[in-house]
Amino acid sequence: MNPPRLELRRASKTYQTNGQKLEALRDVSLVLEPGTITALVGRSGCGKTTLLNLAGAMDFPTSGEVLIDGRDTSSLREDELTALRRTRIGFVFQFFQLLPALSVLENVELPLLLAGSQKAREAARNRLEWVGLVDKVNSFPYQLSGGQMQRVAIARALAHSPEILIADEPTGNLDNASGEQVLALLSDAAGRFGATVLVATHSAEAAAIAHTRVQLRDGRIAAFERA
Amino acid sequence: MRQLQLFRTLILRPLRRDLLRTALTIISVALGVGVVIAIDLAGDAATGSFRSSLETLVGKTDLEIVANGGVDERWMAALTALPVNARFAPVIEMQGVLKPAGSVTVYGVDFVSQGPEARAATPLARDPNSAIVVSSGLAQRLGLKEGDHLPLTLSDRTQNFEVAGIADAKDAEFILLDIAEAQRALNQYGRLDRIDVFVSPHEDFSRVEREVRVTLPASYRLEKPGTRGEENQRMLRAFRWNLRVLSYISLVVGAFLIYNTISVSVVRRRAEIGVLRAVGASRRWVLRLFLGEALLFGLAGSLAGIAFGRVMAEGAVGLVAETVNSLYVSSRPAAVALDPSAVAAAIAAGVAVALFSALAPAREAMHVAPVEAMGRGAHEHHSRTHARRNLFWAALAAIIAVALSQARPIDDKPIAGYAATLLAVVAMALAAPAVVTGLAAGTRGASRALFGPEGLLAVRGLAASLARTSVVVGALATAIAMMASVGIMVGSFRETVIVWLDTQLRADLYVRPAAHAGAGEHPALSAEVPGLVSAIPGVESVDIFHALEFEYEGRRATLGAGNADIVRRYGRLRFLPGEDRDAILRSLAGRNRVIVSEPFANKHSVRVNDVLNLPLGDRLVKVTVAGIYFDYSSERGFVIFDRSTLLKYLPHLPATNLAVYVRPGADPASVRHAVEARLANYRVTVAPNRALRQNAVTIFDRTFAITYALEGVAIAVAMLGAANSLLAMVLDRRREFGLLRYLGAAPAQLRRMILLEAGFLGIAANLLGLALGFVLSLVLIYVINKQSFGWTIQFHPPFLLLAGASTLVWLTTVLAGIYPARAAARLNPIEVIHEE
Repeated sequence: MNPPRLELRRASKTYQTNGQKLEALRDVSLVLEPGTITALVGRSGCGKTTLLNLAGAMDFPTSGEVLIDGRDTSSLREDELTALRRTRIGFVFQFFQLLPALSVLENVELPLLLAGSQKAREAARNRLEWVGLVDKVNSFPYQLSGGQMQRVAIARALAHSPEILIADEPTGNLDNASGEQVLALLSDAAGRFGATVLVATHSAEAAAIAHTRVQLRDGRIAAFERA
Repeated sequence: MRQLQLFRTLILRPLRRDLLRTALTIISVALGVGVVIAIDLAGDAATGSFRSSLETLVGKTDLEIVANGGVDERWMAALTALPVNARFAPVIEMQGVLKPAGSVTVYGVDFVSQGPEARAATPLARDPNSAIVVSSGLAQRLGLKEGDHLPLTLSDRTQNFEVAGIADAKDAEFILLDIAEAQRALNQYGRLDRIDVFVSPHEDFSRVEREVRVTLPASYRLEKPGTRGEENQRMLRAFRWNLRVLSYISLVVGAFLIYNTISVSVVRRRAEIGVLRAVGASRRWVLRLFLGEALLFGLAGSLAGIAFGRVMAEGAVGLVAETVNSLYVSSRPAAVALDPSAVAAAIAAGVAVALFSALAPAREAMHVAPVEAMGRGAHEHHSRTHARRNLFWAALAAIIAVALSQARPIDDKPIAGYAATLLAVVAMALAAPAVVTGLAAGTRGASRALFGPEGLLAVRGLAASLARTSVVVGALATAIAMMASVGIMVGSFRETVIVWLDTQLRADLYVRPAAHAGAGEHPALSAEVPGLVSAIPGVESVDIFHALEFEYEGRRATLGAGNADIVRRYGRLRFLPGEDRDAILRSLAGRNRVIVSEPFANKHSVRVNDVLNLPLGDRLVKVTVAGIYFDYSSERGFVIFDRSTLLKYLPHLPATNLAVYVRPGADPASVRHAVEARLANYRVTVAPNRALRQNAVTIFDRTFAITYALEGVAIAVAMLGAANSLLAMVLDRRREFGLLRYLGAAPAQLRRMILLEAGFLGIAANLLGLALGFVLSLVLIYVINKQSFGWTIQFHPPFLLLAGASTLVWLTTVLAGIYPARAAARLNPIEVIHEE
């Protein structure tokens, strides 16, 4: 039997700030399968972003394990982690994080270029077509609306067809209409591309599209709900 | 008080956090200020010792009687017979060579007529022909005491002298000699260098002046003491002025960097400024905040610069003194002295430059609106849209610069030329954003194809932070332009001199006295030497040359005489275009006709066929300028007679140099040995043609060593700026680097990206700098040099040297990116991405 695509086993994360211990995540266990959307909900500071960073292999648990296809991320070397981000993980941020100096097309093809892909342009165009912004390829981020920027960010996150998509408050900075478009794209990413989508959100609409809702409180799982 | 507290929080705290960048900025200012101080102090020390050290012994002279070609000693009798209460003392001044001490000033004096101090040291009991009095300063340094014997070389003879006395002059180094012995040594019997006049305090000074004036011939000059020193300083004014301007380059480059640092400071704190404005801070208050930051850099940099400049001055004084000695006038470097006015001037310069360069970014901060205080992109976009408008101003500045370069000098200084240079730099700085944008757009495809995503990101990143990029490019380009322009000027000058040496030095051997011969010093050859050399088998012709320092229209120049026919037959002397060399040289012999060097003609606005009134000995002689020839040996300028003419007016003028032409077929080396053997009893140097040329080129290179040193400092300041700016860029774009790590960029890719940015920055700066340098070199060669020194320099850019230097600068720029690149790769992506 294949291991789960993403699994957290009793993962805890403790930060040391000014000599004080801060337990951001405590004993969290979670299994995420392909083609599913999992929503992390809870108040600010409950540990959502910490969990996303662990799941995206950007950070490592103080205790416990984070496994991607059965491999503990803590055991990976720097080059293996880079390769992991290049091929298997995509990120979407609340504040879009597009590079202002690059055009829309260049922003989207960037992960592919960094990975040395030969067909970056073609793949980037396909993704922009998917998010409905193919007419904006030569525009620059400052020429786009917030919703358009977040759609470009999603196109970028999925440009290299990652198996895991991590989204941190993807609709937090958008109006309702734009937020709906973004959520539709996330659903499509899971349904059409089979991506494992992990999304941290405050929004009830965002949580509503998820197959699983995980309520976090003080770094612990307070409630677990399947749709 | 509240303002001070906010200044501490908003300005000082971030400066402490970015300690490396703060230090780099302060070092840049310190280097700029240091160089200015060093050149000023070294200039003062190297040129400040013209005062006769004899004064320390005999007291202050009231008047000096001087004449071109020397004062006839027979006038002494007429002067002492005057019914005035004044004392007249004959003086001969020369440079002797003392084995252990090197060159030393020797005064020939009449001990009896000198003051009481000198009389105390009079060697009455000893043979006056071999007795000397040594100043206590020199005696102390060399450990001399009465009765010691010293070998002293004067002109072309070395003689053993006995120390007959020690004169009380602790701070001076000189030797006193009996005047008759000095005349013999200089081969100038019956002539004096000057007569010092001491007027009694009870006597009417102007009456003495009047009596002396009517007694002496009109060609004699009565000078106030210090006139000579003042005149020397005036003569050196152009040289020191040019050197000083060159020293300001580092400060100009430093100004770019302060502008950059304050700009970074403003860009980073836009949000904070917005908040401050929102809670009630006035615009003027914001302006003061950032000017305060600049003031801090200016003060700290100036104070460090003073210490730094004092140290550098010690090294520079030798180089400056060497140039002064070989091109202008003999002087002995004095001690480097840092006086309060120099300290005040340095602090003022550092602070003024800092405040001036911070004015634009501080004003920008002042206009930050509370709502506009978000994000960086808007500001960068703003500067991009201004690139075109700046291009218009650049064109305007360039047009004014061209117009200024055509203007005439003001008070003998090429002020309009320098203004043109500065405007050209301004034009370049204004054009920099457009050039960077253009280059970035033009190379985007190539850079991506060659270097992949790092190439694309590097080029785009630079173009995106245009405001900052173009300032660094401007600073680097200014330093490169100065390097290139001065390099082209010096290279062209060097090539011109080498070609000129070929036309000028045609004889096989040159003979001159071994004694010190700086500019304005013309030690004499013994009267019999020319005859001895002419009689040597294998010698075809000997051109006997006479040189003496003289004054024309209040300026010092060299009066010379040679055999025009020999010069015509053997030489290739080059005259200004359109002048017939043969006809000119033929027209000189036996007639009141002269040729003058180009610097002399330019200084005195002399043209061919003009008539000059030359005071020669006891007479005023009218001579016609037959031609103007190219000369690069002295900035003072030459007036050259055929010797048959000059000896008519100054019959006792001794020969100073010989140019020996070897008979065809004879071996020059054998002839040289024969000359050396024949003159074994004389202290002369016999130099073959090649050695003389090599020596001239060596002197030339040494003369410009200080120029290269100054350029080196300017380049170093620009490098610090590049490192500083790249570091700032990394700090400002850390969110971008963090994001790239999220998107799968490896740390090595980030490093490569920063190094590529550094490389691109270097290329843009090199392109702009070399283009500007080429333009500036034309201004330097055809305007500034011509107006300052009067030399025509042929344009010969040293391409290989320029290519090497710009490659080196480019490589150093890339090296300056190493630390920022490492810093970028080490950033923690989680921290920087979640800062917002």
